Amino acid sequence: MCWGDGLAVPPHIHSIGGDVGRYVVRRSLQAIPMLLLISVVLFALVNIAPGGPLAGYGRSRRMKPQKAEMLKRQFGLDKPLPVQYVVWLIGNDWMRVDADGDGIAESYGTRKGILRGDFGFSFRTRRPVLGEIMDRLPNTVYLMSVTFAVVFILAIPIGMISAVRQYSFFDIAVTTFSFAGQAIPEFWLGLILILVFYTGLESPFTGQPFLPSGGMYTLEADFSLWDRIRHLILPVAAQALGWIAWYSRFLRSSMLDVIHQDYIRTARAKGLRERTVLSRHALKNALIPLVTMFAVDLPYLFTGAVFIEMVFSWPGMGRLYYQAALQRDYPMLMATLVITAGIIISSSLLADIAYAFLDPRIHYD
Amino acid sequence: MPRNRSLKLLTLVVVFALLFISLTGCARKAEDTPTPTPTVEKVATAVPPTPVPTPEEVATAVPPTAAPTEPPPEPEETSITIAVLQDPPSFNGTVTDTGYELMVQELVLLGLADIDPWGNIFPELAAELPTVENGGVVIDEDEWTMDVTWKLRDDVYWSDGEPVTADDVVFTWNAVSDPEMGIWAPGADYTGSAERIDEYTVVFHYTGVYPAYLYQFGGESGPHIWPEHYCDAEQGFTAWDANQEPLSNGPYLLKEWVHGDHLTFVRNPDYFEEGKPYIDKIIIKVVPDPAVLHAMMLEGDADVEMWVSEMYLAEYQDAPNVNVTFSPYGRWVMRLIPNLAKRGSIDPAEPHPILADVKVRQAIRMAIDVDTITEEIFYGYPDTVWTEMFRPPYDVCDISRPKYDPEGAKALLVEAGWTDEDGDGVRECHGCPNAEEGYPMSMEFAIYAEYGEELELAQQLIAENLEAIGFDLKLEKIQGSIMWDSYEAGGLEQIGDFDLNMWDDGYPGLDPSDSLWSFYYSEAAEPDWGWNVGRWMNEDASYYIDECYCLDEEYRQEVFCELAKILDEEVPQILLFTAIDADAYSTRVEGVQATINDIVTWNVADWKIVE
Repeated sequence: MCWGDGLAVPPHIHSIGGDVGRYVVRRSLQAIPMLLLISVVLFALVNIAPGGPLAGYGRSRRMKPQKAEMLKRQFGLDKPLPVQYVVWLIGNDWMRVDADGDGIAESYGTRKGILRGDFGFSFRTRRPVLGEIMDRLPNTVYLMSVTFAVVFILAIPIGMISAVRQYSFFDIAVTTFSFAGQAIPEFWLGLILILVFYTGLESPFTGQPFLPSGGMYTLEADFSLWDRIRHLILPVAAQALGWIAWYSRFLRSSMLDVIHQDYIRTARAKGLRERTVLSRHALKNALIPLVTMFAVDLPYLFTGAVFIEMVFSWPGMGRLYYQAALQRDYPMLMATLVITAGIIISSSLLADIAYAFLDPRIHYD
Repeated sequence: MPRNRSLKLLTLVVVFALLFISLTGCARKAEDTPTPTPTVEKVATAVPPTPVPTPEEVATAVPPTAAPTEPPPEPEETSITIAVLQDPPSFNGTVTDTGYELMVQELVLLGLADIDPWGNIFPELAAELPTVENGGVVIDEDEWTMDVTWKLRDDVYWSDGEPVTADDVVFTWNAVSDPEMGIWAPGADYTGSAERIDEYTVVFHYTGVYPAYLYQFGGESGPHIWPEHYCDAEQGFTAWDANQEPLSNGPYLLKEWVHGDHLTFVRNPDYFEEGKPYIDKIIIKVVPDPAVLHAMMLEGDADVEMWVSEMYLAEYQDAPNVNVTFSPYGRWVMRLIPNLAKRGSIDPAEPHPILADVKVRQAIRMAIDVDTITEEIFYGYPDTVWTEMFRPPYDVCDISRPKYDPEGAKALLVEAGWTDEDGDGVRECHGCPNAEEGYPMSMEFAIYAEYGEELELAQQLIAENLEAIGFDLKLEKIQGSIMWDSYEAGGLEQIGDFDLNMWDDGYPGLDPSDSLWSFYYSEAAEPDWGWNVGRWMNEDASYYIDECYCLDEEYRQEVFCELAKILDEEVPQILLFTAIDADAYSTRVEGVQATINDIVTWNVADWKIVE
């Protein structure tokens, strides 16, 4: 038995037979109306939420009404909400609009709508939303990939050893660390790390702060791999701690389930070395549930972590979303939310496929 | 051993994956660098009057190696870092007004004239300031219109070598005033058209008399001048690409903009002021967390910080490597806005049961201990303010500061018909003019959430002051975007859904006319027309506000003082103190001066490094 108690198998994958391609197509087709529905709900929520994009447009915040009127027209906010949604979805280049506010719809609009790849422009910067996202996305993927790599490199052995040496000093220490790791807020830990490694400790060689306070690299300096790594250490550490704690606890629990199974006892009885039993038989099966967890966390790879990016001045997606939310930048908000929804749906599909790939007993309908 | 080989292989794969990821991230700088390429390319390919090196050339210039004699050593490149909390939305400070776009706009674009922290107006692109005396301003007394003639310098060039001419000024105004893609800007209500007279002369025809005409194209919120040959008129003023990739006529050239991370500027070798700017390179680094930004200033990794909060000021003043500069005058006046109309109504004829009575408003003003607020909560930095005419050139009115007098306030409330007959500590209406008998003196007191903890503490202290004289206040903290949204969108103030609010506002420059109009003019009480959200109607005040739209300074002073008297007696708003306007800068930098009339980089060409 590979599955321990409490490790649920997705119910829709139980039956035997089926074909991966057909399954993926079917799930993808199901995702389309779901995404549409999500977009309607999100559009309504984003627009109905109190406050508007113009109120945060300037320092005095009390915008001259004439200016507000012009901006609303330029943003299309002067139209009823359903019309705004239709324009967001399919554009307005097929309909006449009143661009100059004289009450006469004299020219065709310029928007193509997201169905034709036009996510609009940011209310704040007037730059195309997709361009802004593409500026930030690689930075987030870069940070999060390294974070996930560190998490798995550390969490898997920690979880495994903790399970094998249950109730040992190591296990108790890891358990304590796990609770602390999950309880400490990322932004607080980030600030503490900066306090210690940036303002507190100095490099004995240069007299400069031991580690940089943020950013991706030293500005105006030649490329250096070590410089890149130095800039990664604090944000990765602040972010990875909680995840390492979480993943290692989960693996510990999964391993404990697995190592008490009959087939492990059989493997030992066959005279296999303990390391072989653990790494080739136990760990392989214990890792399977982690696929689900990773699938749930996969969207973070693209959406980033708001607080980490704020504290460590990392120009990623999390900050982009946060700023858009604060300033009610509707097109930016809608784009990030809908893309995130798409990624979550895709991750879920990916998890289901990976499940069946890893566990031969699971087949697609 | 196959198992060991697998492990080694796995280890190698992981190491290479990590290296690859790091390298991919590293490669981003090179990929991202040329965001503002059009600007940079234009600098490189155009033929300027004198050869203009590209920013890259400026940055990487190498002295000739085959020189017969050893060349003198190149002076070391000077560079400073300005740390900011947000990425600037663009380089166009007329469209948005977050302050960050103004900061970068000052580096690359000039206006016709600008205004210094002490209120002196000085020409930038203009050869001289047009005035009535020098014939630059002609007023038609019958029509009450005016023409302003600007003569431009003929030695200012765009960074692609094209001269800055009257065509650019006319183009800019036409783009700003375009009903489709333009934007309202200060003075737009009075400016009819712009006319090119010759290559370096332009006339603005006004439909009224606009006192702030001198810094209408420059200063903080006035449009700066944009290049006609570079900007795409079809894209429009608010959306053209030049807002992100500007062509410079200012002291610096944009070299690189990595969005969300930093902007790099290099000095403009053809800047019209000989020898300026003094600093070779300016980096604007985005540091979203104020605590981290503060640490960077103290560690010397940032050289300038704009808008330092009170909390950090004391620490900076003790730091050996950081200086603090204060604006000579305050601008953002913290004020209480009483709603004189019935809550939820926009009809001034329906009085607020408590606040419509001027005696109650006067009592509130007398009961607030402003000094304690400024000393205890704002670290003693703010200046106390009790009249709109508190700064030059109109700080000449004889308006004495109201006394902090809780007993006097209580007496006024009794006089107004508010007494506490049931002994619960809250007064009720017993003969008051606008409420039913027994109506309790209970109401809501709101602040905006974005200001931060200090304002919350101030709210609590004011509430204590008012509760001590018999008010019952329900304290609220509301997001500014909700409080100040339009009438149509349900903005609480515009729809009249408030009792007593507190926020800060003020005007840049020298002329308070538009600000006074917005706060106190009767028509400005119309929804979405102005910010007279207290619905205060006073014909005399409106008359004086109309009168202040003239250029006779003596008369204006008289008019403003008459208005100040009315405001002092009627108390449509209760002014408390000015929020500070301070910037911090490294001791290795010289010339930084905070201003309320513009942004910290207003004189960036004059900054120097003093090692």
